[in-house]
Order: sequence, then C-alpha cells, then structure tokens
Amino acid sequence: MSLTTVLGVATALFGVGLYGLLQRRSLVAMLISIELMLASIAINIIGLTALTGLDASVGQVVVLVMVGVAAAETAIALSLFVAVHRAAHTIDVEQLRELKG
Amino acid sequence: MTAPVLAAVVAQATPLAACLVILVTLRRQPAAAALLAIGSLVVALAAAAYLVAVVAVPNVHTLAQVVWLPISGSAGLAFGVLLDPLSTAMALVVAAVTLAVMVYSLGYMAGDPGFARYYGFLALFAWAMLGLVLASNLLQTLVFWELVGLASFLLIGFWFERPEPAAAARKAFVMTRIGDVGFLFGVLLLIRTMGNATIPNLLAAAEGGAFSPRFTALVAALLLMGVIGKSAQGPLFTWLPDAMEGPTPVSALLHSATMVAAGVYLVARLHGLFAAAPDVMRVLLWLALATALASATMAMVAADIKRVLAYSTISQLAYMLMALAAGSVAAGFFHLVTHAGFKALLFLSSGIFIHHAHSNEMKVIATRNPRSQRAGVIGLVSGSLALAGVIPFSGYFSKEAVLATLGARAGTAALVLAYAGAGLTAYYTFRMVFLTLRGARAPDVTDAHARAPGATAMAAPVLVLSALTLLLGWLGGWFAARLGAGEATHGPLAFGAGPLAALTLAALGIGLAWVEYGARGAARVGFVERVPALRDFFANNWYLDRLYAATVVRAGAALARAARWHDQTVLDGATDGFAAGTVGGGRILARLQNGYVQVYVAIAVSLLVALAVWLSGGLP
Repeated sequence: MSLTTVLGVATALFGVGLYGLLQRRSLVAMLISIELMLASIAINIIGLTALTGLDASVGQVVVLVMVGVAAAETAIALSLFVAVHRAAHTIDVEQLRELKG
Repeated sequence: MTAPVLAAVVAQATPLAACLVILVTLRRQPAAAALLAIGSLVVALAAAAYLVAVVAVPNVHTLAQVVWLPISGSAGLAFGVLLDPLSTAMALVVAAVTLAVMVYSLGYMAGDPGFARYYGFLALFAWAMLGLVLASNLLQTLVFWELVGLASFLLIGFWFERPEPAAAARKAFVMTRIGDVGFLFGVLLLIRTMGNATIPNLLAAAEGGAFSPRFTALVAALLLMGVIGKSAQGPLFTWLPDAMEGPTPVSALLHSATMVAAGVYLVARLHGLFAAAPDVMRVLLWLALATALASATMAMVAADIKRVLAYSTISQLAYMLMALAAGSVAAGFFHLVTHAGFKALLFLSSGIFIHHAHSNEMKVIATRNPRSQRAGVIGLVSGSLALAGVIPFSGYFSKEAVLATLGARAGTAALVLAYAGAGLTAYYTFRMVFLTLRGARAPDVTDAHARAPGATAMAAPVLVLSALTLLLGWLGGWFAARLGAGEATHGPLAFGAGPLAALTLAALGIGLAWVEYGARGAARVGFVERVPALRDFFANNWYLDRLYAATVVRAGAALARAARWHDQTVLDGATDGFAAGTVGGGRILARLQNGYVQVYVAIAVSLLVALAVWLSGGLP
C-alpha cells in the first residue's frame, strides 16, 4: 500500500465530505459530511506518519485523540440541532436563513 | 491697577455684563432687562465722568496694557486702555448718549415683543463702542470695530420679521464690510511692522519718521477705507439712509455717538499717522467735501423725516472729516461732540412725532397735530437751530471751528464749498422743520392719545439734550486746550468775516425755507422739487444704489451663484457620490450574506483554496 494510494483515498473522502457539506440541506447530513472530512484528515495523518519512516505511534495517538474530540463535537452539534428544531421546527438550512444581511 | 484704569475697566465691563445677563436670563422680563441696562450705563457714565475729571488734562496720557496671548518672537496680543482727553471725552459722550437713548426707549419701545432683547443689544452696542474708544492698540481697535458693526447690524435689523429692516441691516453690514477689508489690511500691515501696534508707539513712530512715506500713505489709505465705510462717506454712504428702518432711538444712537462716529474717532485717534500722509489727507478733504454737498442735495428732496436727518448726518460727518483732514483734531472732535448731542436730540424728537403720528412722512406728521407734542417741538427746533449753525446753539461754535480750520489750512476753493454746504444745511434743516410743524391740520384727527403712556420717559432725554445744545458750544476752548497742540484759537464769540458769512448763509437758508415751506400760503414745494429730473436724481441717492446694483451687486451675485453651483454640484456632488457609492457597495456586498450557510461554506472553501494556491506560489 503506497503513500499515493492512502493520500488518494483521503482526498477522495475529503471531496465526498465537501460535496456533501455543500449539497445536503439537512443539518445532520452536513454534520456527517464534516465527519467524513475529519476522517480523511485522520487517514492523512496515519498514512503520513506510518509510510514516511516516522514513528507510527505518534500518528495513531493524534488520531485517537481526534476521534474522541470528534465524538464530543458530534454530541454538542446534535444537541444544538435538537434545540434548533424545537425553535424553528426544521433543520433544513435553506429555511434557517434569518441571519441574512 | 490704578484708579483711572479700574474706572475704565468698570466702564467697559458693566455694559458687557448687563448685555450677557439680559440676553441669557432676562429675555422674558422686560422691566428687569431695561432696569439692568440703564443701571449699567449709569455706572459706565459715572466712570467716564470720573475719567474725564481725572485724566483729561492737557498733554497727559495713561497707557495700561496686559499681554493676553504671548507669541514667541513677536509682541503678542495685548489688551489695555489708553486714557487721554480724546478717549475719555469720547467715552463720556458715548455713555451719555446711550443712557439718554435707553431712557427714551422706555417709552418708545414699550410693549414691543423684543423689548428685553432690544436692551441687551443696546448694552452690547455701548460696550463695543466704549471698548473701541478706550482701546490701547490697533488689534483691540479692530476687534471692537467689528463688534460695533455687529451691534448696529443687530439693531438696524431689530424688526427682522419685516423684509425692509432685514435688507437694510444686511446692506449696512455688507457696505461697511467693504471698507473694513481695507481697514483689516492696514491694521495687519501695522501689526507686522510694529508688533501689537500700541497706539502711542505707533503715533510716535509715524511722527518721528520711522516709516517710509510710501508705507505711511499706503497704511493711511487702507485705514481710511474702513473710516469711509463706517462713517458713511464717499461712495459707501448709501447704507445710512436705509438704516432708518431700525427703531428711531437706534438711529439716534447710531448717528450720534456710536457707529458712524467710530470712523471719525479713529481718524482723530490716529491723527499723527494720517497727518504724516498729506496726499491721503488731501484726498479725504475733497472726498468729504463732495460727500457733504451731495448728501445735502439728497436731504433737500427727502420726504421721510428720518432720511433728512440721515443725510444731514452724512454731511456733518463730512465736516468733521474735513477738519481732521485739514489738520485740526480739536475742531473735528469738537464738532463730533456737539453733533452727537444735537443729532441724538433731533432723532429722539422726530421719534416723538413718529410715535404720535405713526408715520415717517413729514407731510403726514404735519396733518396729525404735531404741535401738541411740546417736548418734540422744543427738541426739533433747538436741534435744528444747532444743526443749521445759528449762533447761541452748539452747532454754530463747532461748525465755526471747522470752517476756521478750513480757512486757515485748506485753501479758498474748499472753504467756499464748505460755506455753500453750510448754507444748504440750514435750508434743508428748516425745510424739515417747516414741513413737519407748519402743515394744515387735518380736520378729522382727534387728540385722543395726545399724552401717550411713556411720554415722560421720552420727553426727559429730549429736554436734557435740548438744554445741552445751548451748553456744549462753550466747550470749544476746553477741547482746543487739550487736543489743539498749539493751534491758534480765538474765543467763541470772536466775529470776523468767517462767522458773519456763515451766519448770513444760515439766515439765507432758513429764509428760503420759510418762503418755500413755512410762510402762510407757501407752496410747500422747494426749488429743487420743481425740476422733476433733478428731484428724482437727488431722491434716489444720485442713482448710486442703482449703479451699485448694476455693477458691484450684480457681479457679487454672479460670483455667489457660481460659488453656489460649485458648492451644490461639485462639492456636494462629490460627497453625495461617495456616500451613494458606499451605500451601493454595501448593498452589493450584502447579497453575499444571504443566510444560506452552504454559500458561506462554499466561499470560505474557495478562499481557502485560493489562499493555499497563492501561498504555495501558484499552481505547479
């Protein structure tokens, strides 16, 4: 498994996440897309530490911390979505546009 | 601070304090305002009288000056008082006339909605004029000179709700301003040369020959421009007849001791400097002569009693300036003092008739039983006798001093013209008297309010000033001893060819007026008025106003229109355009913030990509 393959997979995953973030209108789907982009970064870190002769465990530690942080962030985001839904009865971002200029 | 200096400061400070208190807190309490203003002038008058008693001795002057704003490398701005016979006597005249006018106004202005404001302005006027009179240096003179102009603007336009007084006030302000431009430059030139231009130092330098003749002539000519504007001479006098739109007591003040006297006083004050420029003085002499004769012709056809008096003021100011130009401060200033007394008297007594008849037209006043106003009749007749130069009245003595000066120093041609002017003065003065007092009474007029409220307040100053016309004339020796500087003087009753000629001319003028206007069955039409072209020419100020309207005013209006176009189109356009551009730009940029979160994300990502590309040095 070459570094190119790993970076290609990560880039593809980031592109999918970015596309989802821009395309999907549901806040939950957008959160999932952000998680995909985060995952692609994690893959990048793993690949760049393990396959370029550095100490692989450093990357693994960083990625594990990232996964934990991502889980906490998701929990906070989901609770915010619940609050938004209670207030506006929707989580469609096209309808949540009170903050326009 | 010595006692005289303190008195001088008090004389200036009390009217100022009264003015401020009235204008700030007493606008709705007319009685308190009038009382305060009159009280302040009583204090000022007492201080001025004390100054005259203490300081006005020959060949002494006191100078007290503090540097108010030091400027490194120059003399700084100083304020102070200069006390000598000239300034203290003038201060006394100013305070006395202002006080008389204030007392008179209690009756004349009673019930006016702006009563308190009127007294505030009068106090302002008194303060400005006293400050001008007592100023110790030219910068201070300039400051108070402009304040005098401001105060007269406010008072001429006192009834600013009506268009004519507002226009008259504007005209007075703008026309005097034209002269003041020259005055400002003259003062600035002297300040550049002399530091703060303290008056005694300035005169010593001018008399000692410290200035080159060209510089002296230039400065004298520039200062004279201001004098001509202020004292309504030469080409700049047409504002004064229009200034009659103000209340009559204001005219009395304006024409006797304050506004127009300021120019004459300045020439007397700086006489050493002016005397060092003989060419300029010769020009002034002939200009004043021309003004005296021209304004006399205008007075011969005027129908409005106040306009007759206004033209007579112009011609009497010209006599003062002639005496000063011919080199006699004593004669010029003596005439200023006597004129202040009888001209204030004439205006105040004409005000009684105007108040009674509700008209300025002499022929209208004549139909409303003017002779029921005893004080007015006494005042008008004694003032007119003084103005015409009839012997025991003050005007005779001072005009005689002026004419004697002209005879001794100005040459025959000027003297003859001045005598002619004196004759005309007697003629138009008594034309006014006969037109006002000797008309047929209209049958339907009743004397319901023959004794109007406030009549006492109006009569008292008139009677006091009437008495003064008999007394002031004997002060000629006093002035000559203090201001004459070695002039040959003769007693007040010395009769030679000159006084006899003057008296004959006065008698002839009065006689002609009697034949044409006064005698029973007279046509009441003057010899000038029989020629319509001449009458219109004189009655319209020699068409000078029309000339100015066609030239200067039109050019000024065109310039103003161009400036307005520039302001509204170029300057406002640039500002408005900039503001509109900002608003429009904001509108366009606000489209970006449309509330769609995903658009924000797209923009952020694209900018990040662009930043990355830029930081990495372009695409590989």
